[in-house]
Amino acid sequence: MRRLLIFLLLVVALATGCTPRPGGRIVYGLTLAPSGIDPHINASSELGIPLTSVYDTLVYQDPKTGEFVPGLARQWEVSEDGRVYTFYLRRGVKFHDGTPFNAEAVRFNLERITNPDLASQKARFMLGPYERTEVVDEYTVRIVLKEPFAPLLDSLSQVYLAMASPTAVQKWGNEYQLHQVGTGPFVFVEYIPGARLLLRRNPDYAWGPPVYQHKTAQLEEIEFRFFTDPATRSPALESGEADVMGEIPPQDAARLRGNPDFRIEPVAIPGVSLMLFMNTNRPPLDDLRVRQAILFGTDRRAIISAVFRDTSPMACGPLTAVTFGYNPRVCEFYPYNPDQAAALLEEAGWKDTDGDGVRDKAGQSLTLDFYLMGWGYLPEIGSLITDQWARLGVRVNSQKVSYPEALAIAKESRHHLMPFSLSSSDPDIMSRFFHSQGGFNWSKVNDPEMDGWLEEAARLSDRDRRADLYSKVQFRVMENALVIPIRDYVNLNGVNNRVQGLRFDAQGWFPWLIDVVLAQ
Amino acid sequence: MLGYGLRRLLEAILVLWLAATLTFVAMQLTPGDPAQTLLAASGASPAEIARRRAQLGLDDPLPVQYVRYLADLARGDLGVSWLHSRSVGRMILEQLPATAELALAATAFGTLLGVALGLLAALYRETWVDALATGLAVLGLSTPVFWSGLLAMLFFSLYLGWFPSAGGGDLRHLVLPAAVLGFSLSGSVARLVRAQVVEVLRQPFVLAALARGLPLRRILLFHVLRPAIGPAVTVIALQLGFLLSGAVVTESVFARQGLGRLAVQAIFWRDLPVVRGMVLVGAAAYLLTSLLADLLQAWLDPRLRGRDEG
Repeated sequence: MRRLLIFLLLVVALATGCTPRPGGRIVYGLTLAPSGIDPHINASSELGIPLTSVYDTLVYQDPKTGEFVPGLARQWEVSEDGRVYTFYLRRGVKFHDGTPFNAEAVRFNLERITNPDLASQKARFMLGPYERTEVVDEYTVRIVLKEPFAPLLDSLSQVYLAMASPTAVQKWGNEYQLHQVGTGPFVFVEYIPGARLLLRRNPDYAWGPPVYQHKTAQLEEIEFRFFTDPATRSPALESGEADVMGEIPPQDAARLRGNPDFRIEPVAIPGVSLMLFMNTNRPPLDDLRVRQAILFGTDRRAIISAVFRDTSPMACGPLTAVTFGYNPRVCEFYPYNPDQAAALLEEAGWKDTDGDGVRDKAGQSLTLDFYLMGWGYLPEIGSLITDQWARLGVRVNSQKVSYPEALAIAKESRHHLMPFSLSSSDPDIMSRFFHSQGGFNWSKVNDPEMDGWLEEAARLSDRDRRADLYSKVQFRVMENALVIPIRDYVNLNGVNNRVQGLRFDAQGWFPWLIDVVLAQ
Repeated sequence: MLGYGLRRLLEAILVLWLAATLTFVAMQLTPGDPAQTLLAASGASPAEIARRRAQLGLDDPLPVQYVRYLADLARGDLGVSWLHSRSVGRMILEQLPATAELALAATAFGTLLGVALGLLAALYRETWVDALATGLAVLGLSTPVFWSGLLAMLFFSLYLGWFPSAGGGDLRHLVLPAAVLGFSLSGSVARLVRAQVVEVLRQPFVLAALARGLPLRRILLFHVLRPAIGPAVTVIALQLGFLLSGAVVTESVFARQGLGRLAVQAIFWRDLPVVRGMVLVGAAAYLLTSLLADLLQAWLDPRLRGRDEG
C-alpha cells in the first residue's frame, strides 16, 4: 500500500513536473528608485508596479475591452447629472492587518487623499472636481462631485486611489509608506528605500476582480530591486539577478531576443505619444506653413528605426494607438516629403539668399531653439532631427535641460520646440496639452472651439460621443501642426522564461502579479 | 590643547555655515519652481500649484526663507522631504550605512592598490614595471566610474560569474563596487606615493639604514613608506568629495542603496530639505575625515606633532 502511494506520488510529480506550479519567488527589476511610494501622496509610475498587488481598487479596467469591472465595489450607479457615484461594496473583505473593509474605510481614504495637509502629488488631482464622500450604510458609499467628471472610474481603477487600511494609516502617520497595508493578493512585508521591497503572498485573498485569473497569488514571494542605470538592466537579467526587468534599452532587447532563456514582452502604453511641441507664439513657428514644412521634413520612420530599432510604432498624432479614442486617420497627415517641406518654406518666404545652407528671411536666419531633456532617448532623437532639418535649410539650436528648467522655459515661452509624453488610460489627458489653460500647453495654443470639445468630453459619460470629440481634437491638433509626434511609448519588459503568466493592467505599466507562475 | 579643540570647533561651524549658505544660494539660482516641478505632471491647476508653493513657504521673502533655513539647521531639525513626505533625518540615516560601507571599502582598496603601485613604480623606476604601474594609475585616474563599473560587471559577474552584479547585503556584493571606485581612487594615490618614495629614497638616512645592514623590507616599510605616505593621507582625505560623487555612479551601476542616488533625486526635484540634509552630512563627513587625516599625519610624521599648539 505504502509503495503504491509513493509510486502514485511519483507519477503525479512527473506529470506536473513540466507544468507551472504554485510557490517560489522572483526578483522584479524596477527602473527608478521611486520618489516616495505612498500611492496617495507620491506620483512615481514605478510605485504602482509592486503596489498594484498590495492594494485593491473599487473598480478595475479590462485592458482588452476598456470596460470597467467590479473590484472592491461589486456594482455602482451614476446619477443622471453625472455628479453622484454610488458604490455597493463587497462584504467580508479584510485588510492585511485584520481591519474590515467598508464604506467608512472608503470615506477615510478619499478624505485622506483630498486633505491639503497630505500634499498629494497625484491622487488628489485624479479625483477632479471631487466634493465629498457620504457613507450611506456599512456597505454603500457615495462620491459626490462638483460637476460631472468622466475619467472618475478610470481614476478609481488605479493604484493611486487604492484602499489603504485606516488603522495602519493612523498608526504610522508620516512613516506609513514603509508599512503599507492593503487588501490585495500580496502583503507588503518590507521596504528598504533604495535597496529592496518585499511582498509575500496573502493566503486569505478571495475577492479578486474578474480580470484576475487566479483566486490567490501563485508566487510565494516577490522581491523588487532598483536598476536605475539602463545599461545594467539586461546584464542583471542575464546573470540571474532579476527575473523580470522593465524598460530594456532597444539595442539590448534585440540581443535578448536571440537568447532562448529570455523573452521580450513589449507593452504599448496608452496616453499621449512622445511629441515635440511647436511654440505657435514664437516666430517663425507662428506661421502655419513653417510648422507644416517641419512636419513634412521630419523622417520619423528613420528615427524609429535608428533610435528605437523598430520596437516602438511611429506616432501619428497626439494619442498613442492603444489609447481609447485614438483615430487611426491621423496617420494620413504629413507623410515624409522633403520636397513639399521645401516648397512650403519657399512659400513662407524662407530662402537661402546668402548661400550658407540656412534659409533666411529679412536678414533673419531660420534657427529654432530646441530644448531637450535627458530621458526617452531624446538626445539621440535630437541629433537625428538636427541632421534632417539641416538638409531642409533649418538650423537647430539644441540644448539639454532638466525637467524643472524645461517647465520654467515653457512658462516663459522661450522655446521653439520642446518634447514631452505622458501615459494615461483616459484621453482626457489631452486637456493638459491642448486646452488653452492646460499645464503643458507648450504649443501655446488658444483655440476656444477645441477648449469646448475637451471640456465637453470630460463631462460626458457616453463613450461614443467622447470618442467623436477626441477625434476632432486629434484632427485639429494635426491640421494646425501643433506637434511633431515621434513614437508611441512601448515598455520593453525583459522576462526570464521561467516566469509565466505576466500580464499588465490597462495603464500598461502595472503587472497583475497574482497570476504569475514559475515554470519548472 | 583646549585652544586647539575650540579652534577646530569654530572652524567646523564656519564650514557648516558656508556649506549651508552656498547650498541655499545655489538652489535659488537653479531655474525651476519646486511646487510646479512636483505637481505639473499631475494636472494640478495654477491655483493649486500656487497653494502648494505657499504651503512650502516659497512665497516668503528670501531673507525670511534663509533665516528659517538656518534656524532649522541650528536646531538640528532637517524637516520633511517635499518629494517623499518623510522625515529627512530618517531618510539619510537609512542610506548612510550603505554609502559609508562603500566609501570605506573603496578607500581601503584604493589606498592599498595605490601604495603598492606607487612603491613598485618608485623602486623599479624607469623600467617596464614603472611603466605598467604608472599606466595603471593613469588608467584609474582617467576611466569614468560608469564605464569601468560596467566593464567590471560584464566581465566578473556576467562572464566569470564570480560576484553578483547588483544589489547589496553581504560582502560579495561589496567587492565589485568597492574595487571599481577604489581603482579610480588609486590613481592619484599611486602617483603621489611614487613621487614621495623617489624623494625619500634619495635621503641619506636610507643609505645609512642600508649601510647598517637592515633588511630591505624593514627599510621600505618603516623608513621609506612611513614618511612618504603622509602627504598621501591628506590627498585621500581630500578625495571624499570625489568618493561621494563616484558613489552616486557606482550605486546606480550596481543597483546599490546609498546617499548618492538620494542626493541626485533631491537636486533633480528641487527638494530643498533633502539637499540641505545631504550638505550637512557631507560637510560633517568632510570635517571628520580632515580631523582624522590630521591626527593620522601627526602619528605618521612626528615632526608635525604639536605644530598646532604653538
